[in-house]
Amino acid sequence: MKTWHWIILAVITIASVVLQLWGPQSAHPHAWDRIPGFYALFGFGACVVIIFVSKAVGKAWLEKREDYYDE
Amino acid sequence: MTSETLPPAFILLLGAFVLLGVPARVRSAVFVLFAALGFGHVMRLPLGTTAVGNFAEFQLILLSVDSVNRIFGMIFSLIVLIGGIYAWHVRNRGEPVAAMLYAAGALGVTFAGDFITLLIWWEIMAVASTALIYARGTAESRGAAMRYLLVHLLGGSVLLGGVAWHYAEYGHLLISALDPSFGGAWLILFGVALNAAIPPLHPWLPDAYPNATVTGTVFMGALTTKSAVYVLMRLFPGWEVLVWAGVIMAIYGLIYAVLANDIRRILAYSIISQVGYMVTGIGLGTALSLNGTAAHAYSHILYKALLFMGAGVVLHTTGKSKLSELGGLGKYLPLTLWLFMIGALSISGVPLFNGFISKSMIISSAGEAHREGMMLLLFVASVGSFLHTGLRIPVFTFWGPDVGLRPTKPPVNMIIAMVVVAALCIFYGCYPSALYRYLPFEAEYHPYTIPHLVESVQLLGFTFIGFWIFRRKLKGEPLIVLETDWVYRRGLRGPARLLVTVVNGTFDAAARGRDRVIARVVDMAQHPLRPFRPAAAPHYDENEDRLPLGTGLAITVLFLVVLAVWAAQ
Repeated sequence: MKTWHWIILAVITIASVVLQLWGPQSAHPHAWDRIPGFYALFGFGACVVIIFVSKAVGKAWLEKREDYYDE
Repeated sequence: MTSETLPPAFILLLGAFVLLGVPARVRSAVFVLFAALGFGHVMRLPLGTTAVGNFAEFQLILLSVDSVNRIFGMIFSLIVLIGGIYAWHVRNRGEPVAAMLYAAGALGVTFAGDFITLLIWWEIMAVASTALIYARGTAESRGAAMRYLLVHLLGGSVLLGGVAWHYAEYGHLLISALDPSFGGAWLILFGVALNAAIPPLHPWLPDAYPNATVTGTVFMGALTTKSAVYVLMRLFPGWEVLVWAGVIMAIYGLIYAVLANDIRRILAYSIISQVGYMVTGIGLGTALSLNGTAAHAYSHILYKALLFMGAGVVLHTTGKSKLSELGGLGKYLPLTLWLFMIGALSISGVPLFNGFISKSMIISSAGEAHREGMMLLLFVASVGSFLHTGLRIPVFTFWGPDVGLRPTKPPVNMIIAMVVVAALCIFYGCYPSALYRYLPFEAEYHPYTIPHLVESVQLLGFTFIGFWIFRRKLKGEPLIVLETDWVYRRGLRGPARLLVTVVNGTFDAAARGRDRVIARVVDMAQHPLRPFRPAAAPHYDENEDRLPLGTGLAITVLFLVVLAVWAAQ
């Protein structure tokens, strides 16, 4: 990831928040639609939770050696 | 039966028989020819077409075309055609025959109007697809094929039980929506849910798909689960249990996709996650949600085929498919990389790709039904799709450190097939109305609205940031991940041993006892005097056992005396 990639991502995010607050609204609005950057926070949070929860469950319980069923 | 009412499945069935007989050099062309005939036939079948046949005392509805099954039939036959191009280089006979038969089964199920027709094609699908796993030829794939077959035969049998109950209850076998108060419906649901890979009935899918042949998985990824989705849509629309089953599927699949190591297994889990959206759409049962299910099945078949094709190219050209053994392939397979990325962006729901126009329809329908919690869980599943399929697979396969693999040049037919599917993914993403006009129900929907775009951009953009920060945690590890099939692969070993060993032991002991008794009886019959003799003595001692000469003489004399006395009287 080069610096300009991050800049593009930042610009798009800012544009999306501007549109979210002052652009046209959904025909079926939800309580969270007005929180600025809600989907960004949700996406980041969900991503981190998925990574850590999956890995924790895998390490604690589900992951086994590849010859597990051959024994 | 005229050519207008010929069930499309029959064309492919004929194709399978023809493929058995033709020489290897024309086999691929014949496959594509019959697939094209099937596709063309499906496209020009008018709505409302029916064809009937008789079987014993039942009238079978071999073909019943309406707006619900037409869209499924279209995409099934289209993907078989493109799959035929992707598999053009395959030279053995078994694989194309099995694939053609399997496709016939899927189209047969899709256009069946009664349960008997459905069941016959259903079982043909199960058996033919097993051959595509078995054809891989490794010990692992043979085991997976056997488990796959047994599990599907179980599902088919339970389905048959439900169908018999249906006949007993209603006196007919027409396929129509079922009511939860009818007990047999739950047996039918079990059988269909098994094919739709709804947990905990799903472990056959991630077990079998990574073990099938490179080209076979492309067909399997398209046909089995989506034909089951179609049947669920036909029989169980609006069943509340499916709303939850779908959401659980969507989340369950993504957790395993984050852990899995084999790229084709990650894709298999992402099927489960994606089918979860469709199952939720069926459970919601509104016009918009059912349209969303049909549209998402259509989109999903395209991009998932593209992803399996890309993974297939990696496996075909390097012999490897595990993330822990891959890396840095992008500079050797640049075209494959970009075609794979089109599939990855599609499944992730990036605007202008076809996943966006269908997935958002189901999520919106959940929102319109005021299922906010469900909607948020489906957003989590979207984040997951982007994470495991859109980022994890390509980053650790095509980028990252070069692990020294030098892939061979992929066959050109594989690339052509991928280009066609990738073009379709972008085409439908940019012109959703080309797909929407085939949707079965009246429900207006516009995917490209500002709120939708805001939502997607923020979700995906920040999923990417999360991935980038923690990407090292997502590296492939040479491990396997336990599944619910642990129950029959390992958990039941004790009870199985008890049952099998005790029963077999009893039979063996009885057989040994029987043999001993027989040997004894035979011995006794041959040597009646043996019990009266010391054990060490021979069986037959001519000095002891032969009758003395005198005995014969005595009997003769006695007989003559008796005769003489009787004659004298």
